[in-house]
Amino acid sequence: MKTTARIVVPIVFVVAISLLLQGHNLPGGGFIGGVLTTGAFALIYVAHGLDYLEVGVLGRDVEPGAGVFEHRTVTAYERAFILGLAIAIGSGFAALLFGEPFLSQTYEIVHDVPIYHEIELATALVFDVGVYLVVVGGLLTILSVVGAE
Amino acid sequence: MAPDLSVITVAVALPFVAAAATPLLHRALGERTGFAGAVVALASFGLLLTQVGERGAVSFVWVPSLDVAARFYVDGWALLFALLASGIGALVFAYSRSYMHGDEHLARYYATLLAFMGSILGVALAADLVLVFLFWELTSVASFVLIGHHTDSDASRYSARMAMVVTVGGGLCLLAGLLVLAVAADPALGERTFDLSAMIASADAMEAALRERGLFVPALALFGVAAGAKSAQVPLHFWLPNAMVAPTPVSAFLHSATMVKVGIYFVGRLRPLLLSPEWTYLFATVGLLTMTVGAVLAVAATDVKQLLAYSTASHLGLMVAAFGFENAYGAEAGSFHLLSHAAFKAALFLVAGIVAHEAGTRHIDSLSGLWRDLPVTAAIAGVTALSMAGIPPFSGFYSKELLFEAAYELAHYDGGLTWVFPVTAVIASVFTVVYSLRFLSIFLGDRPADADPVHRAPALLVAPPAVLALVTAVVSVSPGVAVDAIVQSAVDATAVGDAELHVGLPDHVSPPVVMSAISIGVGAAAYGVGDRLRAGIGAATDRDPLGANWWYDRLLNGAEAASARVSPLIHDGSLRTYVSWSVTAAAALALLGYAATVAGLPPVGRTVPPTMALVLAVAGVAAVSVMVAPSHVAEVLTLSILGFMVAIFYILASAPDLALTQLVVETLVLLIFLLVIEQLPAFYGDIPRGVLARDAAVSLFVGVTVFLTVLLAGREATAEPTAVARYYATEAVPQGGGTNVVNVILVDFRGFDTLGEIVVIAVAAISVLVLIIMRNRGETQ
Repeated sequence: MKTTARIVVPIVFVVAISLLLQGHNLPGGGFIGGVLTTGAFALIYVAHGLDYLEVGVLGRDVEPGAGVFEHRTVTAYERAFILGLAIAIGSGFAALLFGEPFLSQTYEIVHDVPIYHEIELATALVFDVGVYLVVVGGLLTILSVVGAE
Repeated sequence: MAPDLSVITVAVALPFVAAAATPLLHRALGERTGFAGAVVALASFGLLLTQVGERGAVSFVWVPSLDVAARFYVDGWALLFALLASGIGALVFAYSRSYMHGDEHLARYYATLLAFMGSILGVALAADLVLVFLFWELTSVASFVLIGHHTDSDASRYSARMAMVVTVGGGLCLLAGLLVLAVAADPALGERTFDLSAMIASADAMEAALRERGLFVPALALFGVAAGAKSAQVPLHFWLPNAMVAPTPVSAFLHSATMVKVGIYFVGRLRPLLLSPEWTYLFATVGLLTMTVGAVLAVAATDVKQLLAYSTASHLGLMVAAFGFENAYGAEAGSFHLLSHAAFKAALFLVAGIVAHEAGTRHIDSLSGLWRDLPVTAAIAGVTALSMAGIPPFSGFYSKELLFEAAYELAHYDGGLTWVFPVTAVIASVFTVVYSLRFLSIFLGDRPADADPVHRAPALLVAPPAVLALVTAVVSVSPGVAVDAIVQSAVDATAVGDAELHVGLPDHVSPPVVMSAISIGVGAAAYGVGDRLRAGIGAATDRDPLGANWWYDRLLNGAEAASARVSPLIHDGSLRTYVSWSVTAAAALALLGYAATVAGLPPVGRTVPPTMALVLAVAGVAAVSVMVAPSHVAEVLTLSILGFMVAIFYILASAPDLALTQLVVETLVLLIFLLVIEQLPAFYGDIPRGVLARDAAVSLFVGVTVFLTVLLAGREATAEPTAVARYYATEAVPQGGGTNVVNVILVDFRGFDTLGEIVVIAVAAISVLVLIIMRNRGETQ
C-alpha cells in the first residue's frame, strides 16, 4: 500500500495540476483537478495516517493527544478553502474594477514564449484556481475530520 | 406643483437612519435619547410640512426588471397621516424621556420606536404596492417588539405574539390583495405594474378589469381582512386590548394614533378605487359592528388603559364605517375623525400613563377625585374625554355628526334594511358617552380615604398631552382652521367627485342633530345606572365562545398540538426517514408539475448501440447485487461497479468531462466509504415486511419519476441543438477563449452558478466542523 502510494501520488498530483491548467481547452478544470487532488491525499491517509504530512514530509513534531481541530494540517485545509473562496469572489470583483459585470472573464493570448510559442492567459483560470482550492480544502477538511473519528 | 422627491425621501429615511444610530446615541446621551428622537420626529414633521398643498407622484427606480420603484405619492390624505405620525411621534418621544426613566432596554425601545415611525411615514407616502407591503409589515414587526418590551413577563410575550399573528396574518392577505391588483392592472393599464397612483388615476378601468375576471369581491375581502386585522375590527379586534401591556407611550403612539390607523388609512386610500355597493356593505357593516362591540366592552372595562383600548377599537370602527358609506359625508367623517381621534385619544393614553405613574394604579373603581392632585391633567382629560364622547362643541361631535349624516343619507335613499346603519351608530354612540363619562369619573368627586398619596406630575409628562389637548381645543373651537389647513385636501383624496367639507355647530334641527341629542341624553341617563349596566354586560359576555380570545387560544393550541403530533413522523432524527420524505416529496412535486404542463408522452423507440446496452446491463446487475450483498464491503464495491459503469457510459456518449468527474468522485467516495465502514454495525437486524414494502414503493416511485423526467426532458441525439446550446458552442472560443465548452460554461458564462456551488462546498465543510466540534463539547441538544 505504501509503495503504491509512493509511486501513484506524485503522478496523480501532476495529472491533477495539468487538468486544472488545461481545463479551459481540454477536458479538465478546477473541480475535477480538486477532486483528484483530494483523492491523492486520501490515498496518503489510508496508507500513512493523518500525521504523515507533518512528521514524514515536513519533519515537524506533532503534539500527541491534541484534537483533530488543533491539527496543523486540518487548519491548513480550512485556510485553503477560505482562501479559495476569497480568490473566486475576488476575481469576480476584479471585473467590477474594469467596469464589467461581476464575474466577467476575458483572455489574452501571449505570443513568442520560448518552448510553448504561444500561451493563452485567461482570467477564468484565476477563478478556476479558486474553485480548485475550495474543493481541495473543503473535501479534505471533511475527510480528515470524519476520518479522525 | 409636484412634490420634492428628496424632501420626501429624507423625511422617510431619517427615522431609519436615527434608529440605526440609536445604540451609539444612547451610549452618548443616556436617557436623553428621547429628546434626540423628538428632534428626529420634528425634523421629519418639518420636512413634510413644506410639502403641504402639493399633489403628485415622484419616484426613483429600485428593481427595474420587476418594475419595482420607490414611488411616493403625496396628497392631502397621505400628508395628514404622515404629519399626525411624526407630530405625535415627537410628543411621545419627549414623554418617554420621563415615563421610561430607569428602564434597562432604552436603546432597543427608542430604536424600535424610530424605525416604527419611519415605517409609518413609508406606508403613508408609498405609492408602490411592494413598498406599501414592506412598510406595512415593518410596522407590525415594530409593534411586536414594542408590545413585548418587558421580555421577562409572560403576558408581554403572549400579547406580542398575538399581535404578531393577527397583524402579520392580515399582512399576508394584503400581499395577496396587492397581487390581485397588479394582475388586474395588466388589462386595465396596459402593463403589469405595482404603481398604486396610476391605478387610482384610472379607477374605473381597474374596477372593470377586476369584475371581468371575477376578482373584485376576492380583492375586497382580502383588503377587508388586512385592514380589519391591522385596525382591530371585529372579529379580529382582540389583540388590541391585549397589546396594552406595552409601555403607555407605545400604547398612545402605536395602538391609538398611528399603527392601528394604517388599516383605516389604506381603506381611505383604496376608497376611490374600489367604491361600490359591495364596499359599503362590507366596511359599513364591519365598522358599525366594531363601533358597537368596542363601545359596549369599553363600558365594562375595569382598567383605564383597557377602557381606552376598547374605545380605540370602537372609534376605528367609526372611521371604517365612515369610509364604507358611498356618499361624500363618509369620506368627510373618516378624514376629520382621523385627525380629531388621533389628537384626543393619544392625549387620553398619555393621561392614563400619568395617572398610573402618580397614583400607582389603573383600576377605575379605586380612582376618584384626582383633580385635586392633578389639576392640569384633569383639565386635559376633560377636554379630550368630552371630545371622545362627542359632546358639542368638542371636535368628536363634528365627526360623529358627519357619520350620522352619512348613515342617515344612505338609509334615507335606500330605505329598508339600511336603516340598521343609523340605528346602530346611535346605539354605539350611547355607549361611547357612558364610557367617556366613566373615564372622567376618576378625576371627579372626592379622594377615597384610604388611597395612597398622589404625587404631582412632572412638567415633562404633562406637556405632551397638553399640546394634544390644545390641538383638540383649537379643532373644537374653530374646526374651519383644521379643514382649511389639511383636512379638506384629505377629503379630496378619499372622496369620489367634489366634496366640500363644512363642519360647525348646527343652527337648525336636522336628523343627525336629533340622533346626537338622543345618544347624549340616553348616554347620560345610562351612566346613572352604570353599575347595573356593567354587571349586565359582564354576565352577557362572560361566555368563552363569545370571546375572540378564546378562539385564538384554541386555534393556536390546536395548531401546536397538531404539529407536535405530525413532526415526529416527518423528522424523527433518522437519516433514512429524512431521505424517504424528501425524495418522495420531490418526486411527487415533479410529477405534479408534469401533470400540469405536459400534454403527452413522447414516443419511446430509440435504438441503443450494443456497447452502451452492455454497459447499462452490467450497471443493472450491479444495482441488483447491491441489495443482496452479504456484507458492507461487498455492498460498497458493487455500488462502485455501478458508478464506474455510469462513467463508461459517459465516455461512450462522448462526454469526457462528465466521465472524468464521475471516475474521480467515484474513487473518492469509495475511499471515504472504506474509511467509515468499520464504524457501521455489521448487521441491522431483520427488517419488518411493512418497512421493506414501503421502501420498495418509495424507490419505485422515485425511479419512475426519474425515468419520466429523462423521457420528457431528454432530446433525440440527432435533434437540432437548442439556441442556448448553439450559443455556448459557437461563442466559447471568441468570448471565453477556451475550446472546452463545458469548462467555459462553468467558469465564464455561468460563473455565478459555480461560485454558488463552491460556497456550498465551503458551507458543508464548515457544517461538518461545527457538528463535530459541538458533539465534542457535549452540546447534544
